Amino acid sequence: MTKRDFESGAAFPEGWRANAARLQAADAYDPADEHDACGVGMVVALDGQPNRRVVEAGIEALRALWHRGAVDADGKTGDGAGIHVQIPEEFFKRHIRRTGHEPGETPIAVGMVFLPRTDLEAQDTCRGIVETEILRCGYRIYGWRQVPIDVSVIGEKANATRPEIEQIIIASEGEIDDEAFEADLYLIRRRIEKRALERNINDFYICSLSCRSIIYKGMFLAEQLTAFYPDLLDARFVSSFAIYHQRYSTNTFPTWRLAQPLRMLAHNGEINTLKGNVRWMESHEPRMGAAAFGAHIDDIKPIVQSGSSDSAALDAVFELLVRGGRSAPEGKAMLIPESWSKRETVPQPHCDMYAFYNCVIEPWDGPAAIAATDGRWVIAGMDRNGLRPMRYTVTGDGLLIVGSETGMVRVDDTAIRERGRIGPGEMIGVDLREGRFYHCRELVDKLAARKPFGEWVRHITPLDRLIRDGGDEKPAFARDDLRRRQIAAGWSHEDLELILHPMVEDSKEPIGSMGDDAPIAVLSDRYRGLHHFFRQNFSQVTNPPIDSLREARVMTLRTRLGNLGNILDEDESQTDLLQLESPVLSNAQFDAMRAHMGDTAVEIDCCFDPDGGETALGDAIERIEREAEDAVRGGCQHVILSDMNSGPGRAAIPMILAAGGVHAHLVRQKLRTFTSLNVRSGECLDVHYFAVLVGVGATTVNAYLAQETIADRHARGLFPGKSLSDCLQGYKEAVDQGLLKIMSKMGISVLSSYRGGYNFEAVGLSRALVARFLPGMTSRISGIGLPGIQRKAVGVHARAYTGAAPMVDIGGFYNSRRGGEVHGFDGRAIHILQRAVEIDSFATYKKYSEMVRGLPPISLRDLLDFQSDRDAVSVDEAESITEIRKRLVAPGISLGALSPESHETLSIAMNRIGAKSDSGEGGEDPARAKPRTNGDNANSAIKQVASGRFGVTAEYLNNCREIEIKMAQGAKPGEGGQLPGHKVSVEIAALRHSTPGVTLISPPPHHDIYSIEDLAQLIYDLKQINPDAKVCVKLVARAGIGTIAAGVAKAKADVILISGHGGGTGASPQSSIKYAGTPWEMGLAEVNQVLTLNRLRHRVALRVDGGIKTGRDIVIAAMLGAEEYGIGTAALVAMGCIMVRQCHSNTCPVGVCTQNPALREKFEGTPEKVVNLFTYLADEVREILASLGYTTLSDVIGRTDLLTQVSRGDEHLDDLDLNSILAQADAGGFPRHSAVEGRNEVPDTLDAEIIATAWRAIEEGEKMQLAYTIRNTQRAIGTRLSSKITRRFGMKGLPPNHVTLRLRGSAGQSLGAFAVQGLNIQVVGDANDYVGKGLSGGTIVVRPTTSSPLTTYENTIIGNTVLYGATAGKLFAAGQAGERFAVRNSGAEAVVEGCGSNGCEYMTGGTVVILGPIGDNFGAGMTGGMAFVRDPDNDLPNRINDDSVVYQRIQTPYWTGVVKDLIAQHARRARSRYAETILNDWAHESKSFWQVVPREMLDKLDHPVVADEEQATA
Amino acid sequence: MPQRMQNFISFGQNTPERRDAEDRRRDFDEIYRRFDQGAASEQASRCSQCGVPFCQIHCPLHNNIPDWLKLTAEGRLEEAYEIAAATNNMPEICGRICPQDRLCEGNCVIEKGFDSVTIGSVESYITDTAWEQGWVRPPEPETDRDQSVGIVGGGPAGLAAAEELRKRGYRVDVYDRHDRMGGLLIYGIPNFKLDKELVTRRTEMLAAGGITFHTDFEIGRDAGLNDLRARHDAMLIATGVYKGRALAVPGAGLDNIVPALDYLIASNRKGLGDTVPDYESGKLNAAGKKVVVIGGGDTAMDCVRTAVRQGAESVKCLYRRDRANMPGSAREVARAEEEGVDFVWLSAPEAFLGDGAVSAVRTVRMHLSVADATGRQTPQVIADSHQNIDADLVILALGFDPEDVPTLFGEPELGVTRWGTLKVSYRDMMTNIDGVFAAGDIVRGASLVVWAIRDGRDAAAHMHRYLLERAEAPADLAEAS
Repeated sequence: MTKRDFESGAAFPEGWRANAARLQAADAYDPADEHDACGVGMVVALDGQPNRRVVEAGIEALRALWHRGAVDADGKTGDGAGIHVQIPEEFFKRHIRRTGHEPGETPIAVGMVFLPRTDLEAQDTCRGIVETEILRCGYRIYGWRQVPIDVSVIGEKANATRPEIEQIIIASEGEIDDEAFEADLYLIRRRIEKRALERNINDFYICSLSCRSIIYKGMFLAEQLTAFYPDLLDARFVSSFAIYHQRYSTNTFPTWRLAQPLRMLAHNGEINTLKGNVRWMESHEPRMGAAAFGAHIDDIKPIVQSGSSDSAALDAVFELLVRGGRSAPEGKAMLIPESWSKRETVPQPHCDMYAFYNCVIEPWDGPAAIAATDGRWVIAGMDRNGLRPMRYTVTGDGLLIVGSETGMVRVDDTAIRERGRIGPGEMIGVDLREGRFYHCRELVDKLAARKPFGEWVRHITPLDRLIRDGGDEKPAFARDDLRRRQIAAGWSHEDLELILHPMVEDSKEPIGSMGDDAPIAVLSDRYRGLHHFFRQNFSQVTNPPIDSLREARVMTLRTRLGNLGNILDEDESQTDLLQLESPVLSNAQFDAMRAHMGDTAVEIDCCFDPDGGETALGDAIERIEREAEDAVRGGCQHVILSDMNSGPGRAAIPMILAAGGVHAHLVRQKLRTFTSLNVRSGECLDVHYFAVLVGVGATTVNAYLAQETIADRHARGLFPGKSLSDCLQGYKEAVDQGLLKIMSKMGISVLSSYRGGYNFEAVGLSRALVARFLPGMTSRISGIGLPGIQRKAVGVHARAYTGAAPMVDIGGFYNSRRGGEVHGFDGRAIHILQRAVEIDSFATYKKYSEMVRGLPPISLRDLLDFQSDRDAVSVDEAESITEIRKRLVAPGISLGALSPESHETLSIAMNRIGAKSDSGEGGEDPARAKPRTNGDNANSAIKQVASGRFGVTAEYLNNCREIEIKMAQGAKPGEGGQLPGHKVSVEIAALRHSTPGVTLISPPPHHDIYSIEDLAQLIYDLKQINPDAKVCVKLVARAGIGTIAAGVAKAKADVILISGHGGGTGASPQSSIKYAGTPWEMGLAEVNQVLTLNRLRHRVALRVDGGIKTGRDIVIAAMLGAEEYGIGTAALVAMGCIMVRQCHSNTCPVGVCTQNPALREKFEGTPEKVVNLFTYLADEVREILASLGYTTLSDVIGRTDLLTQVSRGDEHLDDLDLNSILAQADAGGFPRHSAVEGRNEVPDTLDAEIIATAWRAIEEGEKMQLAYTIRNTQRAIGTRLSSKITRRFGMKGLPPNHVTLRLRGSAGQSLGAFAVQGLNIQVVGDANDYVGKGLSGGTIVVRPTTSSPLTTYENTIIGNTVLYGATAGKLFAAGQAGERFAVRNSGAEAVVEGCGSNGCEYMTGGTVVILGPIGDNFGAGMTGGMAFVRDPDNDLPNRINDDSVVYQRIQTPYWTGVVKDLIAQHARRARSRYAETILNDWAHESKSFWQVVPREMLDKLDHPVVADEEQATA
Repeated sequence: MPQRMQNFISFGQNTPERRDAEDRRRDFDEIYRRFDQGAASEQASRCSQCGVPFCQIHCPLHNNIPDWLKLTAEGRLEEAYEIAAATNNMPEICGRICPQDRLCEGNCVIEKGFDSVTIGSVESYITDTAWEQGWVRPPEPETDRDQSVGIVGGGPAGLAAAEELRKRGYRVDVYDRHDRMGGLLIYGIPNFKLDKELVTRRTEMLAAGGITFHTDFEIGRDAGLNDLRARHDAMLIATGVYKGRALAVPGAGLDNIVPALDYLIASNRKGLGDTVPDYESGKLNAAGKKVVVIGGGDTAMDCVRTAVRQGAESVKCLYRRDRANMPGSAREVARAEEEGVDFVWLSAPEAFLGDGAVSAVRTVRMHLSVADATGRQTPQVIADSHQNIDADLVILALGFDPEDVPTLFGEPELGVTRWGTLKVSYRDMMTNIDGVFAAGDIVRGASLVVWAIRDGRDAAAHMHRYLLERAEAPADLAEAS
């Protein structure tokens, strides 16, 4: 293909729009899935006086942020950047004069307007609308000003979508105060926007319309801001603040309006609760009113315009609050409150204020660093989890510089008064009017003191207290009735034994293993509860999941019930609510609540007549909706839906449908906030059902039948030693924890923001049904509708109420049972496949393949078949088996799950055929990197980097061809893992740099990836530490994965792996295995479509895995867009796995998945068997290709036209339509597969220069010292050099401090990442996030310049997530570290002078000394290593999470010596005067240190920590 | 908390105690003692609770084995029984006589290296307990139906079908030509494997559930098939196969060469307290005789072990293949050897010698050829390897063929296969005569009891469907007119 066939940049937008429209029509792509993230910051004059220096500093800072955005292939089109400054009156007045007017003394306002550029008629219409609305409000217009721009600095794509950019200048008449003028301008803007929408004009956008400030933004690179807008270079352009923003979006389409800053704020992060928040805002609208808007309130509704990005929606609500009378700090406290309910360190007045706000509005939850202004206040704030970096500097000349990074504005070290960071939930602000800077504490003190919040919140009725006296739990159903109800609820023996029983017994969700190979619900011919049709959403890449166990302090299930008020009011009436600590209620609790509600509640029966005709179900739901509406209109504050009256003649309506229907109906009727919605459901048994109910709008849930069942089992003595209330408590605990986990997967920590948020994707539910009952939930393939659901409900009801003593179904959903669900790997297929690979018979393999094909449909691909436009060719013409096999991958299964034998067998086999195996998480023995004497090579070609970073060293990363970043795992996306101590053998501990017998935890998120630009940074780091390896990013299929993948591709990944929900696991909660993630067919198709749409497809390779079993699966995957294919379970089966599904119990009887030596002996797998399997797969692929007339896999990649839907599932389905999967995006002349040779290279960093200079050190091993001045844009310093050293000398080949780098300035992110022994990095200045990431033996020192006036322990010197996954080495920093210091450290020694929240989280090794204050949740999940904290004030007990650690004052001389020695090193290397003072007074000081020791380590330490060998106090 | 299942790592396999072989030889009592709760629970807890339960896959009844093993391990026997009984009409019988080593236990995933879970013994334990506790109840019709079914043959297939149909509410009549119900369960299988009491209590329970039994009722003699069809809305033929295969060698007509079934029936009748002339006469009594049994299946095993118990002077078993290739259960062979039976492998009868009555069997040595495509090794004669084995009672256990059912039943229209088994539609188990179904050995040829139960259950389901349609049909017609 020649270059000119490619679509030009200018033609791109047209093509993009057409493609996007086509994909949208096919339900394949939803623009609402777009994400963005970025760098953000602000500069403020502390005295509040406008000056030029502020604007210049803002511009400079923006320039130093380029690496946090993405650049298009043309090198010019950015994802957007902008700046928000005060209106420089003089600048505009000069312009007014030039036009011949004389500006008066009254304030002027300026609107920055994007007008349609090419459609001149529309342009004129817009001008007309703007002018009309301004005049209508009684203001004068000075005129329009065409903003000077330089289009030569933007790319073709950006230019093609460029609007006409103009300013309108407005004069006020007479005396009007700012506030009133601003409020009017807000009204005017909303009216203009509505008029434009009415006229269907889309390219119209008002960046700002204000008498105070103005926003310049656009689709250029950050450094081009002033080149594009020369206005900003004008010396008259002054301001007292500048808020700036650099965007990184997940698509490539240049959308000017999406650039930030927005009207009030600039946001870095992602609002995870967006859907719920937007819907609750809609619900709040009817009650809304404020003096400022008076009668015009309706002009500003809807508050959030449809199609807004998360940031824009947040901005819109923030703006509403501010215009409605709140200050910016109040807005932040309402929308993004601190987590306060479970932390000891929050002052009571603060708690009261937040409790009040909790009654008023739902928090907007998710990673968020914001910079915002209301005109008077300029604030910077952080989300409750502290998931974005925000550093600030206060200078001696009166500037506050805040930003995602430190060092963006060059400031003389000696002129710095303060260096700080904004912690979780915190904010800082400057009152411009007062000219005063507020730290967080004083700012919130000020807010909390404004109103008597403490008094107000006493009106809240905490129901839990009432419920505690709710009386006894009494069984209500006789046994026969109970059994029939269980059958009617569709429960099986399996549900009761495998799910319910363990929940009661262990207070936890039960664990399972291996992947889900049962049919997706819509394809099953059996009764499946409605919850089976919902797939849980989860976070990956653009936002992090949360650890609901270790970070429980930020999580809350608190539930309020009742009639919500006007969100713009601030008075005590809003606290007249009921409140629960959890939405999960037992029967007695429910009864107590019901009694309290009295007449304010209405109970609605949720049953229907099974013989009531075809529309009985629909009619019944309509009745319920009507009854609910009538009740609420009649003043009811609580609606109760119950199916308890079901019985012989009454069938229960699936409660999800009833609850979803009522919620949606009340939202539509604008009545939802007037009531709580409480459900009593029989069918509800597992955690997922609860989550779906809450997700579709339920306020509380009472699973009465589950409770009755527990009571029955209790009465039968099945819970020996437990009282019934223990049992119910256990069940509730399991559900609560499960709900928290499901929320945390999405990165949501507050239930009230999760409720009604539809954080699911419906798979196989009729689109019409979803639109009616669950509006806003994604449903891409249609399926079962009301008639089908009714049919199934009637069927299961009939079974329950026919016959003398019907039996509860045996099950078969989790484990295979005859007569239960069909499973993809059935017993016969397993045996035949094993026989085939054993006797090396392709014919036998074909029998297996035919058998798999002959099963009833299980996956979406079973509804597809091939159709060709060509005649068949001879198989001999097809490409060779060897070529095809190269595309096959044995996906990542950790050593720890697999036995060493099976792990190595896989690697050896894959290396033999020139394909790749994946190490999985957990490191790999370096000995495997070298082929054995017999020629076997057990080195995994792909090395995985997962959230635990176990064994991820410089050496590990250099022993591979590809590095895979595992963002999520198909069987449990959004979750971490835990390797219990008894599985941590000596070998595993060695590989993972931990202690045998001690539990290891993999966190849910990568702590260096909370956002897309963070992923780009990790990819950058990995490409530095291994200059040859490709980088793969593993994602799990879900709705919206396409845009995530686009972002990943822009982050320079070389391969994107899409894993289906069917992927395997060594241990996961059952509800995760079954209900999270979607089939790979959907994920792969979407990724391929969106990448093609964005012209990114040819820049990245796609790999897919998750239940691929045959050559047919591979060819279908190819046609859906994949070029590489992972085969996990089938490969295990070839090695002898027989799907016992007990991987989590360490009892694998065939030795595949166990560490037990006796069982490992049973392993009978061989590389030959694995090779045979992959050979047959390849051979089958050849046969299929030839039968279709094709000869290579490349020819069919992305060719969905070669697929056709042959079955639409069961006949009673509405329409199971796979068009969304088969829709094809036009490729614009680019290849439909990766065209990258080698890998996507990333820019060089300082190391290129270092290596050029230091060749003698690298080649000859000479000692060297090099010195540089650095900036924050220079990232991963020392990493490439470490790769060189590792490859030449090995990781420990050089003596310590052999090569010294002396750096002056602010180091960019990932300073010294993976630095190895021999490397000594000294920074004089400060450093950003990820210092010493994966440190592998190097030494890093960061300190201020000797002449700095700063008190080191009071100031922040290094950023967040320092020493993440470090395995060896040292760090000394003369100042505080940010959040998550030493997270997952497994070997490094470090001394810092304070740290933020979550310090030493998940640490498994190494020693950390902290000389200053620490943040909350210290030592959470820490199972190894040791920490020492200087704390003379006894603050640590409030801060520490002692679930896994104990703490005490140091008791033994040995450990005192260790601390002293480290402090001495610190004093010497980091020149810390503070450390010297401590040493100077050591006899006294040594008593002010706490020693923090993991509980599991107590009996494994060489040196006891307790003087008299007594247990330490916890 | 101790691990509840997957205890195969901690506990070894343990079968219920077996009586001493010397002791066993002296009577016809069952040879296994029962588990106690502790042992049953411990053994059940060895189950691996597989995601793909191969035990179930290889059980003809697809018993939910892992589920009742787990319940047994937890001491929840009543529930275990409910689940066991839901898929099996006579679990205590299967637990005793199924060749588990070829079915469930043989496919148990821990079998290799850890010895399988003792599924059969646990199954017996569960059901025996259920009987003792009174959990076994007569079939309870879910509703009362007017339609009636007739079942010919009171063996496992017929009884299983009878119970299933009765549960669905049909009136059920079972006809058997013997004087007791149970078929081979009562007359074919020796008491030391299956105590007759177990069979009797089953049939009594069925009778209590409203099933009518007609003993000594021979179709073709007491009524024709047509007569019965007129009486019932549907019929099931489950007569089994009774015709012992003969051996066409010189001397086959000599006295004291008897078919296995005659021999076993006589012994069982004797055990049941009947007067059996051929036994009393010594014709079918092995006491003091040199017995040679020819054949390698389960019936042959029953014969040799019965002969031992009758006090034979010696008992030899002739089989033309070797131990590894015999069709019978290896476990049975082991038991027989313990009891003193002498196996003569790779040896085939060539002629019977004797004058009037048999006095010896002339045999020839065999050797096995290389396996063919199906994996079966054909035995070939080794020339000049004759050998005479003394015998004064020869029992032929060479398998069974169907009798000529169409003729016996006076229904020449009834379709049969070339092997003489009844021809049924694969889809619904109906013969070529409308409303006449067939199940068990008479369809599939001589096979296991567990297969007969399975067939009986399947036939019941098909008959139910058939009867439902017939019950609804008149209503439809009325609507149409």
